[in-house]
Amino acid sequence: MILGIPDPQILLGYGLAIGLALACIVYGWLRWNEAEGTHGR
Amino acid sequence: MAVDTLMMAALVLIYLAATLIIGYLGYKKTKNSEDYLVAGRCSHPVIIALSYGATFISTSAIIGFGGQAANLGMGLIWLTVLNIGVGILLAFVVFGKKTREIGQRLSAVTFPDLMCKIYKSPLMQYIAGFIIVISMPLYTAAILIGGARFIEPTLGIDYTTSLILFAVITAVYVVFGGLIAVMYTDAFQGTIMLIGMTVLLALTLVAVGGFTAGSTALTNMADLVPKALADQGMTGWTSMPALGSPIWFTVITTLVLGVGIGVLAQPQLVVRFMTAKDNKSLNRAILVGGPFILMMTGVAFTVGALSNVYFYQTSGKIAIDAAGGNVDAIMPLFINQAMPDIFVVIFMLTLLAAAMSTLSALYHAMGTALVCDLWGRGKECALSMKAHQAGIIIMMVISTILAFLMPISIIARATVMFMGLCACAFLPAFAVGVYAKAPSTKAALYSMVTGAVVWFLWTAFFHAAEAKPLGLCQALFGKVTLLGAPWTAVDPIVIALPISLVVMVALQVQAGNAQLAATAA
Repeated sequence: MILGIPDPQILLGYGLAIGLALACIVYGWLRWNEAEGTHGR
Repeated sequence: MAVDTLMMAALVLIYLAATLIIGYLGYKKTKNSEDYLVAGRCSHPVIIALSYGATFISTSAIIGFGGQAANLGMGLIWLTVLNIGVGILLAFVVFGKKTREIGQRLSAVTFPDLMCKIYKSPLMQYIAGFIIVISMPLYTAAILIGGARFIEPTLGIDYTTSLILFAVITAVYVVFGGLIAVMYTDAFQGTIMLIGMTVLLALTLVAVGGFTAGSTALTNMADLVPKALADQGMTGWTSMPALGSPIWFTVITTLVLGVGIGVLAQPQLVVRFMTAKDNKSLNRAILVGGPFILMMTGVAFTVGALSNVYFYQTSGKIAIDAAGGNVDAIMPLFINQAMPDIFVVIFMLTLLAAAMSTLSALYHAMGTALVCDLWGRGKECALSMKAHQAGIIIMMVISTILAFLMPISIIARATVMFMGLCACAFLPAFAVGVYAKAPSTKAALYSMVTGAVVWFLWTAFFHAAEAKPLGLCQALFGKVTLLGAPWTAVDPIVIALPISLVVMVALQVQAGNAQLAATAA
């Protein structure tokens, strides 16, 4: 039992939810100035 | 409610005044129809992210699904996985950038307009517009009812007046300020939601002694699972339901897949991509969007599940019993009992912000669909701001009337129904449309119509949660659903979306082969 949760599927869900939120931060950070497809008016 | 009504009313009025002022700033920046329809295609990344997130997350995601987590357990965290993985990462990276590029190149201003211009088919625009105008008022009515139920006790005014006030105040800034006003106010409301959910998580963890202590206590409560739920496969609040059981089908197909995938092709969200100046803006929006959604649904589901521990420790009851069997009453009851008075006010503002941000986006999407995609399609008047203002007012009136007339049993299912229909009808055609070099119009039309029809048939005749309140199957065949368990628990999206996808792919391949043969000849 980790963090009081016995089911690995629930733990995996929490891990993925937090991991994906972190992935969003990393993605946005790394591509902060990526300017492909700039066609603003 | 323990909170002083006068203080609550004062804060709500301050919030409404701030919203209207921000809406006015949006109105001042709106100079032409492109500003009104797609926010001038130059929105700030943070505005895009908060507007997308606040539109995505309505009151039902916090109250309704939080209550479901209290009832069915932490398995709902898988919906958060899909909300971020599909609703943010996949939506922005895979669909968002292409949608923005194509939308800008073709000067598309609404979702049906985008589909029409990609497929060069006015019929496509009519069908997509028709689906939006028919289905979106139901979802809008659900949001209106939720907001009115909040305003009624908070400001001490009767339900009918609350509902009309809520509808009109939100419509004012949408009608005058268009999408710029909608997105500005969304960002303000999203910030309130973020503060509210952060405080809610912190105070809940304090109330149950921290995450590990709370989860351990919840795990030890597994033998308190009501017999009716245990018989249907529920094994506890910190474990998934038994694989293949009715509860498992409900959690996975309706709650996780139905809502998690349904978000991808929602017209009011797709339009947000077309408001970005460039792909850099969308990249930056992802940085804000992912954590925002985690703090909305992840917190709601965790707090919902852990509320069982609080209720059991303070009253000897599990959450659903403490709330008198009403899933939607669990979260408000928990907030009122477990939180300090000042937080009750903050959370109530959070709920109002969640409702208004979703409502304003729906008004805008419905009004523009009515004018641009149906009534004035292809005409100069379709880009007239006055015409769109009239369209938004008409759809606001229709939604308000629906909120008074529709049975509450149908309204309660509106969020899941709307998202399911959008995914089944639009997703395959939208996905192929933004990626295929030569997308087939015939394939998209057949996929869209097939998806919508199969979704309706499964909803009305097979899926018990909707078939029962609709009553169509009962009236025609004398029974609630045509098939028995487990089919009654399988969500329409699980059936209709694959069929819509198969039709799209098969006809797209056929069209590609025909083109190759023609070229060879």
